[in-house]
Amino acid sequence: MITTYLFFGFALLAVLGALGLIIFKHPMNGAMSFVVTLISLAGLYALLSAKLIFAIQLIVYAGAIMSLILFIIMFLNIQEKDLPLDPNRWFYLAGGIVVVAPIAGLLIKITRSLPATEVTVFEDGFGSVKEVGQLLFTQWLLPFEIVSILLLVALVGAVVLAGKRGVN
Amino acid sequence: MVSHYLSLSVILFCLGILGVVSRRNVFIVFMSIELMLNAANLGFVSLSRLHVNMDGHVLALMVMAVAAAEAALALAVIILLHKHKGNLDTNIFSLLKG
Repeated sequence: MITTYLFFGFALLAVLGALGLIIFKHPMNGAMSFVVTLISLAGLYALLSAKLIFAIQLIVYAGAIMSLILFIIMFLNIQEKDLPLDPNRWFYLAGGIVVVAPIAGLLIKITRSLPATEVTVFEDGFGSVKEVGQLLFTQWLLPFEIVSILLLVALVGAVVLAGKRGVN
Repeated sequence: MVSHYLSLSVILFCLGILGVVSRRNVFIVFMSIELMLNAANLGFVSLSRLHVNMDGHVLALMVMAVAAAEAALALAVIILLHKHKGNLDTNIFSLLKG
């Protein structure tokens, strides 16, 4: 029963954070509100007994990626006058809602047809570091290695892009 | 119920689409893309809970690695564009227009 209340609390926080992201004018406020979404998603992963994903969501997403984004936003020192004017923002938002809402309604209706499994937290090893690691290093070994190459390419690309001298 | 988690994932994904469509600030567009990746992750993890199978967790890990790589590259591009144009408006970034 408590998991249901926790779910609705985290879900409300996640949706409010996402709304703040697309409504706040300054990217700093948007980023802080997005951090709320990421942390409540970590709580949802814990409720789904995905223990490893819970930890990695907190460390990698809410920790590393968001602090990188916040660092860049502060680094560029964005003033109120540097922001795009966005005069058509509400117009585009209304148009987007008109397009997206029927698709969302259809998809939510589809999720209703799934078997009604009550979400209980598993006490055993489901989703723990050991079990997921065993799966990752046996069945998913090739994708794992390819992801390492992807990260290497992104690292080299970021250094090449950001480290250019004398472009200005 | 697992279907509630999937509905939340649909709602977050649609909010991400609305952010990409309606905003012109390049940071907000970028974070909306991250929001869509997170919504996909929530879908993976909740379906993996439904089937009591951990493949979804591994896929979520892969998505997070892709998101980290994307963040590094996208932020480098944003810094470069800001250095060239001195602005954060996505409409100004039309370098590829013929």
